[in-house]
Amino acid sequence: MDDENDGLVPQKQSLFPLSAEDIVDNALQSLDEQQAKEITKKAADEVVKIAVEKRKAEYRSDRAQEEMRNLIHNANLLDEKVGDYKINSTFETATGTTSVEIKKSKTNFTLLIAVVGVVVLLLILIFVFLKT
Amino acid sequence: MLCLVIYLCRKLTLLPPPKALTRSQENANLISVLLELDDEPREQLFKLYKDQFGDSAARYARQTYQKWKAGTVRPNKETFRRFLINLPHVMSFDLKCEVLRELREAYCAHDHYKVTVSTDDWKSTLAPVVEGVMKKAMTAELPASVNRRLTWLAEDDMTAANAILTESEARQTKNALALLEKEFSNIEELLDNARGRSEVTHELRLPLGTITLQIEKGNGNG
Repeated sequence: MDDENDGLVPQKQSLFPLSAEDIVDNALQSLDEQQAKEITKKAADEVVKIAVEKRKAEYRSDRAQEEMRNLIHNANLLDEKVGDYKINSTFETATGTTSVEIKKSKTNFTLLIAVVGVVVLLLILIFVFLKT
Repeated sequence: MLCLVIYLCRKLTLLPPPKALTRSQENANLISVLLELDDEPREQLFKLYKDQFGDSAARYARQTYQKWKAGTVRPNKETFRRFLINLPHVMSFDLKCEVLRELREAYCAHDHYKVTVSTDDWKSTLAPVVEGVMKKAMTAELPASVNRRLTWLAEDDMTAANAILTESEARQTKNALALLEKEFSNIEELLDNARGRSEVTHELRLPLGTITLQIEKGNGNG
C-alpha cells in the first residue's frame, strides 16, 4: 500500500509511543478469556470491514472514471451544437466527491471583443479630435 | 488613547464566551449520539433495554427515540442513566465499540482544510496537510467532560476498543490516500480532455477531517 502513495502517507507511523497493538496487548493482560476473545474478534471484524470498504471505494472510483468520460463526451457534443453552455456535475468517488463545472461562453467572448473594439475606436477618435 | 483603541478592538473582535451546556442538554446530546447507531446495533440496544427495564419502558423508548434523536423531546435523567450508565455494563464488547465509534464521530473534532493543488504538485502540496490529519487520527480523544460522565469508557476493554478504532481510522485514512492516486489520474484525464473549459473541486473525506482540493491543470512537469 505504501508503494502506491509514496510521499503522501507519512512513512513514520508511530506518532505516539504506544502502538495500537501495544495498547490492546496491555488491555488483554488484565481481561478475562471471554473479553479477550471478544476483543480479538472485533479487531478481526474491523480489518474485514476496512477491506470491504476499500473494495467498494475502488468500484466507486472505476464508475466515476466512466462517468467523467461520459461528461467530456457530452461537453464535446454540446461544443459542436451550441455556443454557450454550462454543465455542473458531481461524482461520488473512492475518497469523496468530485465536483466539475464545464462551461463555454461564446457570447461573453464576442461581447468582450466588441467592448474592446468600441473603446479602441473611441480612443482613436479622441486622439484625432485632440490633434486637430 | 492606545489603551482605549486596544480595549475597543478586543471588545469588537472577541466572541462572547461559549455558553456552558446544562447537564440535561448534555444528556440529551449524548442520547441523540447513541441513537445514531446503525440499524443492527440499535436493535441490539433496544432488545437489551427491554431485557433490563421491561416491556413498557422499551415500548416508550421505541416510540420516542426519533423525537430524542431529533431533539424535540428531551430525555429525562432516568433515560440517560439507563441508556448510558446502566446498559453499557451488560452490552457486548461489539456493541460498546459501536457506541464508542458514534461518540468519537460526534465528539472528536473534525478539521476542514482547503488547498489549491495542481495535477503536477498535488502530492507535495498535500503531504503536510495529510500528516496533520493522520496525526490527528492517531491521537484523537473524547472530551474530558464526556469521559467524566461515562466512566465505563475508562475500563480496560474500552481502552482496547479505543485502540482498535484509532487504528481503524488510521488505516481508512491510509487506504483513502492510496486511492487518491487513481482519483488524480481520472481528474487529470478529465482536465486534459476538457481543454481549459473546466473547474474541478474534490472533497476528500477522511475519518477525522475533510480536505477540499481546488484542482488546477499542471503543465506536465510533475
